[in-house]
Amino acid sequence: MTNLVPNIAYDYAELAKVSGIELPTPKTEAWKYTRLRDLLDCPYTLCTPSSATGPELPLKADVIHISNGRLVSALPQVAGAEITVIDHVEEKTHHPFAQMNALYLTQGLQITIRRKLSRPLVLNYHMSPNGENGFYHWRNIINCEKDSSAAIIEQFTYEGEVKSCYLANLVNDINIQAGASLQHYKYQNEAFKANHVALHEITIAADGKYESFCLQKGANIARNETEISLNGEGAEAVVNAAYMMNGWATLDTTTNVYHYQPHTKSSQLVKGVVGGTAKGVFQGRIHIAPNAVCTSGTQLHKAMVLSDDAEIDVKPELEIFADDVKCSHGAASGEIDKEQLFYMRSRGIGEEEAKTLLIDAYVTDVINHITDSSVREWFKSLI
Amino acid sequence: MNTPLLEIEDLCAEVCGKQIIKDFNLTINEGEVHAIMGPNGAGKSTLSYVLCGKPGYAVTSGSVRFKGKDLLAMSVEERAREGVFLIMQYPVEIPGVPTTTFLKHAVNAVRKHQGLPELDTMEFLKMVREEGRLLGIDNEMLKRPINVGFSGGEKKRMETLEMSILKPDFAILDEADSGLDIDALKVVAEGVNRLRDGKRSMLVITHYQRLLNYIVPDFVHVFADGHIVRSGNKDLALELEQNGYAEFVKEK
Ligand SMILES: Nc1ncnc2c1ncn2[C@@H]1O[C@H](COP(=O)(O)OP(=O)(O)OP(=O)(O)O)[C@@H](O)[C@H]1O
Ligand SMILES: [Mg+2]
Repeated sequence: MTNLVPNIAYDYAELAKVSGIELPTPKTEAWKYTRLRDLLDCPYTLCTPSSATGPELPLKADVIHISNGRLVSALPQVAGAEITVIDHVEEKTHHPFAQMNALYLTQGLQITIRRKLSRPLVLNYHMSPNGENGFYHWRNIINCEKDSSAAIIEQFTYEGEVKSCYLANLVNDINIQAGASLQHYKYQNEAFKANHVALHEITIAADGKYESFCLQKGANIARNETEISLNGEGAEAVVNAAYMMNGWATLDTTTNVYHYQPHTKSSQLVKGVVGGTAKGVFQGRIHIAPNAVCTSGTQLHKAMVLSDDAEIDVKPELEIFADDVKCSHGAASGEIDKEQLFYMRSRGIGEEEAKTLLIDAYVTDVINHITDSSVREWFKSLI
Repeated sequence: MNTPLLEIEDLCAEVCGKQIIKDFNLTINEGEVHAIMGPNGAGKSTLSYVLCGKPGYAVTSGSVRFKGKDLLAMSVEERAREGVFLIMQYPVEIPGVPTTTFLKHAVNAVRKHQGLPELDTMEFLKMVREEGRLLGIDNEMLKRPINVGFSGGEKKRMETLEMSILKPDFAILDEADSGLDIDALKVVAEGVNRLRDGKRSMLVITHYQRLLNYIVPDFVHVFADGHIVRSGNKDLALELEQNGYAEFVKEK
């Protein structure tokens, strides 16, 4: 973070360029559906610190407050885990935003899970724009040691000017060792002109399990990208998500799952609801390496489109180089079911109320896959 | 003396550009039960949907007054709140919406329209469980998503439950008896009869005279080719059971 000056508005693309990092353009295949121009058009200053904290979650948890990209609470003592602050990291991948994140890291955490945690760990990210278009880069390096188990919840909220177009750039480096399991939940409700780019890089060893659910409701442009390497036999990943947007936002869910070993399993269920001129993007790739026999990878994206101007872009990719593999992908999008709507209205329920009930039911279907009941109820209360 | 509840005059309606209801006339007074019988495809379900305002069912001419008001000018939900209810021939399954949630929204929407206070969860559950018990619907079924995976008979019981708790002034029963076993038929008929109070009226659409032994109609109409071709008392149903519809269908 040494060479950035506070109060100077940086052109993000320019900053990347002088740093030797090539940001994607609208022509870059992996980013062509994301309205990158909107994201890169606005010059950003480095976020000034704030001490405002985000709303508490209605569940028992150890909580870490992060405000404007900086830690603002004392780190909790968590039995079975070790948490320390980091201020520099190295990026191993070529992901341009992750490279920017590493090069200009605001702050981050190193979280080591040693055994089974008794309650979830909440990372409560909060933004108060302070009259500026700020950016911050936050990173967690999460190491789940052998046979450990934990639940980590990330919540992103804001207060103050709804029109601030700040940029949150987040990276989670997650390593799940043999027999360990991690439940990873995320709720993104950024300001409606804000930009949110998150990358989760996850490696899973034999018999390790990763279960995730991400609900996106905010931001102008938000991309939640998950890259999973199933590196040992018996490794398993569940990558579920939901997004709901009525304005003009672009909500992007991108997933790359690499099955490198036999007997590995992955499943993805993503459901979206878009109205107004909003745009939902789902890019899901399942890659099965030549030796990865007896694997299964499934993927399903469903979207409910509420207006003529809303848009859904879906790009599934299956790369299968092994035999004896169970793979499936599917996508469906449609309007609210007219028969169901009529049935409800014919019982006196108003049209808008009926639609809300039907949309809730649609999204609740994914939420019901969450194993932790208190987390499940929390997400239900958010839709 | 006779206060008209529903007055249908020269009603013509079409679905997908195809005229189904042709110059239909019928007046139903308060407290009366009318039965409609007629061949498959005559337009009986279409008539029910037109009366409920289902989108896609276009009235091309004629008028319908309900309690003196223009029914056709009302939205689907307004008609329901004013007291029109349809037991559907094919009830709709709604995955993800628990039956109790759905029923509570419906009951409170109607109560609000009537200027009554909304029921809280406890009051509502007590009421719905009580009515459910009378219709052989247990708490487990009430927790399930509305109609999803219900058997044909269970769906009809659920329709009857909805009617029992919404207490409409006018109910249309579109083949409420189809798919019911003999015992369930009695249970549903008893549910319907409990609502008969001398003011509420019903339009009972059925193919089988048997239902009319339980829900005894004041009038029976034969419906063919989009309108009523003959009217009589309950004995007409017995006659139809004997002779079928041949004479009415031939007639055109
Ligand atoms: N959406 C539609 N598009 C085209 N035709 C339709 C549509 N809905 C109904 N019809 C036609 O309208 C006619 C009347 O149908 P309706 O369901 O009202 O008959 P019904 O008298 O209730 O018959 P049943 O005794 O079999 O229930 C039928 O010929 C049917 O095919
Ligand atoms: Mg019918």
